[in-house]
Amino acid sequence: MSMTIKPYGDDAILMSMNLDSYNDAVCRGVQSMAVSLRQAGTWDDVVSGYDSILVTFNPTKHTTNAAQELMASQLKAANQSPAVTGKTVEIPVYYGGEDGPDMGVICKSSGLSQDEVIRLHNERDYLVCMMGFIPGFTFLSEANPLLHHPRHDVPRASVAAGSVGIAGWQTGIYGLESPGGWQIIGRTPLMIFDKSRDVPFLLEAGDTVKFVPSETGGA
Amino acid sequence: MLELLQRGIKTTLQDGGRPGFRHVGIPASGAADKLSFALANWMVGNVWDAPALECAMGGQHFRFHKDTIIALAGAEMWAQINGQNVENFTAFPVKAGDILTLSMARAGCRTYLAVSGGFKDGETFLGSIATYLPAKLGGIEGQALSTGVTLGYNECEDKRQKIPKGYTPKLSRHAVLRARPGPEFDSLTRDSQRHLFISPFFATGATDRMGSRLKGNHIALETPKSMISSPILPGTLQVPPDGGTILSLSDAHCTGGYPRALQVIRADRWLLGQIAPGMAVSFQRCFADDAPIILKRKNAFYADLIDGFSF
Repeated sequence: MSMTIKPYGDDAILMSMNLDSYNDAVCRGVQSMAVSLRQAGTWDDVVSGYDSILVTFNPTKHTTNAAQELMASQLKAANQSPAVTGKTVEIPVYYGGEDGPDMGVICKSSGLSQDEVIRLHNERDYLVCMMGFIPGFTFLSEANPLLHHPRHDVPRASVAAGSVGIAGWQTGIYGLESPGGWQIIGRTPLMIFDKSRDVPFLLEAGDTVKFVPSETGGA
Repeated sequence: MLELLQRGIKTTLQDGGRPGFRHVGIPASGAADKLSFALANWMVGNVWDAPALECAMGGQHFRFHKDTIIALAGAEMWAQINGQNVENFTAFPVKAGDILTLSMARAGCRTYLAVSGGFKDGETFLGSIATYLPAKLGGIEGQALSTGVTLGYNECEDKRQKIPKGYTPKLSRHAVLRARPGPEFDSLTRDSQRHLFISPFFATGATDRMGSRLKGNHIALETPKSMISSPILPGTLQVPPDGGTILSLSDAHCTGGYPRALQVIRADRWLLGQIAPGMAVSFQRCFADDAPIILKRKNAFYADLIDGFSF
């Protein structure tokens, strides 16, 4: 594992930690650096992934070399200062039943009861590693290894907004109704993205999510 | 007001977009071909990023219910007013009752219809009325316009301007895009690296504002590797495991999970909005030192004409 900082096209710079698989310490470090870079106000966009950060700039304002050096020095400074953390948000979840149509799949593959799956899924605090591919889709840090499960071979045509799912080692939340292949184990009534709200985004990369099981299905 | 008599293939209200929100999963959106869009607004005397209609692929029929001045710019669509030909990249007056018809695009993909004084309707989200269909943002209820929809427009003055020589893009059925190697370019096979820059690809039917699936030579990694999802931009060419390629456009996802082979340079990204299904798409290698010079000169050239516009 090593950090690389390279131009991406002619108006972006990509920092990558070049991970082959999830590494919690690295992902937390990346999110902390991304928050610092966003606070610096230098960049048009600061988009973080699990192990990478892409910043965009106007090439008529910075040369690529200058942008690359600026990003490197900002990353170095961010690394030397205490980790920046986002807010912590409690997300109520109705597990199983109609809200979690794939709960049975996870119980079967893990050999655990539904209560045990629920306990393992919400005993961890998760880091919001990445937002998007669509508004509100929340990519979270690694779930308990007992819960890991591949995506559906054929994605569902429609997954309800708020669905909480598992894909490989990842867990995450569908912010909007969309097609999707994740194994859905529950659903939150909270709107992760709501364009009519004063603050449309409930979560940002760098935040911490605590899932809290809720008693009855809300669907 | 303007009435949509036939919605055509896809018609959306667009402006300059909402940049700066990719970290929360919101692409900039806005006019897919910002150059033609800005020229349409300029010809009727609007600011370059005033809301205009983006008419994709053609087939749109409109009726004007109030006299105004309009401009068309973008794809070649054989436009007619009441059956009489009107030229692309020109502005002209229309009278109440006039019917504008756009035929199917012959070259390019999107034509912009601007009205003098701008459209009045459209929902603003994060400072922009740009329609983003996947999350139903902006536009008219976040949707593509349907047949029968009406849009209000402001009172106008005749501030028509004629585009001087040299500023009108010449669209063809072959988009040539200058690009830099992407982060995973070096992991591609030698043949793939070569094919990317020497052989044309073709846009398939899976082409919309999010992206275009291209077909052409098989592009593959030297050794397959599983990627951790990472950021992408409009103009990123991704390589899924089936050996095809996906070129991201203005509504592209903010992150992707496939190797990134190429990145189209900023100065050429307006042309992404003119890629229609069936069109040839080629990539030309752009050297790192050349990209900023191309951009600077192109910006300076158009800045002389269109106030506040840059690529």
